[in-house]
Amino acid sequence: MTRVRQGWMLAAGLTLVLGGLAGCVASVGGYDDAYVGGWYGGGIYEPSGYEYGGWGSGYHVGPPRGGERGGSRGGTSPRGASPTRSAPSIPTRHR
Amino acid sequence: MRSIGAQTVRHLVQCLAVLVFSGAQPVGASPPTLPPILPTASSDHHPGKVIWAELVTPDVGAAEKFYAGLFHWSFRDVPSLRGTYTIAYAGDRPVGSILYRALPASGNRQPHWLTFIATADVDATLNSAIAHGGKAVAEPATYPERGRQAVMTDPQGATFAILSSSSGDPPDVLAEPGEWIWSSLHTSDAAAGATFYQTVFGYDLFDTPAPDGRAHSILSSDEYARASVNGFPESPTPRHAHWLNYIRVTDADATAALAITLGGHVIVEPHADRHGGKIAVVSDPSGAPIGIMEWSATDTKQEPK
Repeated sequence: MTRVRQGWMLAAGLTLVLGGLAGCVASVGGYDDAYVGGWYGGGIYEPSGYEYGGWGSGYHVGPPRGGERGGSRGGTSPRGASPTRSAPSIPTRHR
Repeated sequence: MRSIGAQTVRHLVQCLAVLVFSGAQPVGASPPTLPPILPTASSDHHPGKVIWAELVTPDVGAAEKFYAGLFHWSFRDVPSLRGTYTIAYAGDRPVGSILYRALPASGNRQPHWLTFIATADVDATLNSAIAHGGKAVAEPATYPERGRQAVMTDPQGATFAILSSSSGDPPDVLAEPGEWIWSSLHTSDAAAGATFYQTVFGYDLFDTPAPDGRAHSILSSDEYARASVNGFPESPTPRHAHWLNYIRVTDADATAALAITLGGHVIVEPHADRHGGKIAVVSDPSGAPIGIMEWSATDTKQEPK
């Protein structure tokens, strides 16, 4: 194997490796791989340490029934913001 | 010189093998085809609605066994991703997906269900989120049949995904048992969090603080409540902002007990919610939390005990 041929092989190999590495970085957006799946952006683990138990009896996070008073801060609805507008409920129509 | 060349080539081949088997995807590779979220395409679009959830876990088989036992879900592998990506069904309706991913060796990570919120324009929503303090975790990508999606965190650090579904969004009907019925955001600054989501998704926002003064707001769109935003209780323990989704069940007490039998844990005991219904939080054997909620049309509002 001549020195020239060895040089070409080395250059080709380096190109492949650097190209592959650059592709990997681009495909995960440069983010920590602990967060992002290799082939798929949805592969994300959360930091541990959720503390649901600390809520005790105060864990009331469910949907309203409709009619509960709660000031609206508006949004895109044509009904807009109103201090007396009540929060809607979840869909109740059956399939 | 000859031996140095052979060693170099061998080393390069090893490097490439590592790249290939690490699951990394080089630039230009086609994204995998993921199934649509609806079995029959629909023209319904409900921006702001939570339309999908995806569990990432190191043990797909254990997850399937747990959720099949708890919610009577069935599972179908995506053929091209056999063993690493499976779709969960409640009856004949897809409700979510389970993705295999090895737990990071760095530790301090836990499996969870990623919340997908509907949007008409993923790129515009992501840009708006970034402009208001959010961060991109996974840049927008289009998956044939599924649609275009991206993953991000809100300013308080809660992770969620946005999806423009190619098959449309699920209809606004009452969830059947085994289907997602509600979502809640738990965060360090509920007022700022609610404003962020209102700004980015155009929600109507209702402030309905708890009797003890704790922040509790409702995000709504299309005149339906979509999710609640809740401030953390005061505690010296650091907490991580997160989304949590709830499956409708017919008996929250029995479902919580069953979760334990199946190898899970009860994190929040079943209890009546202040608006009615009964809520609990359980975790699967891998530690991923999931909410369960009883809800009937005849429930009445109940004050917290």
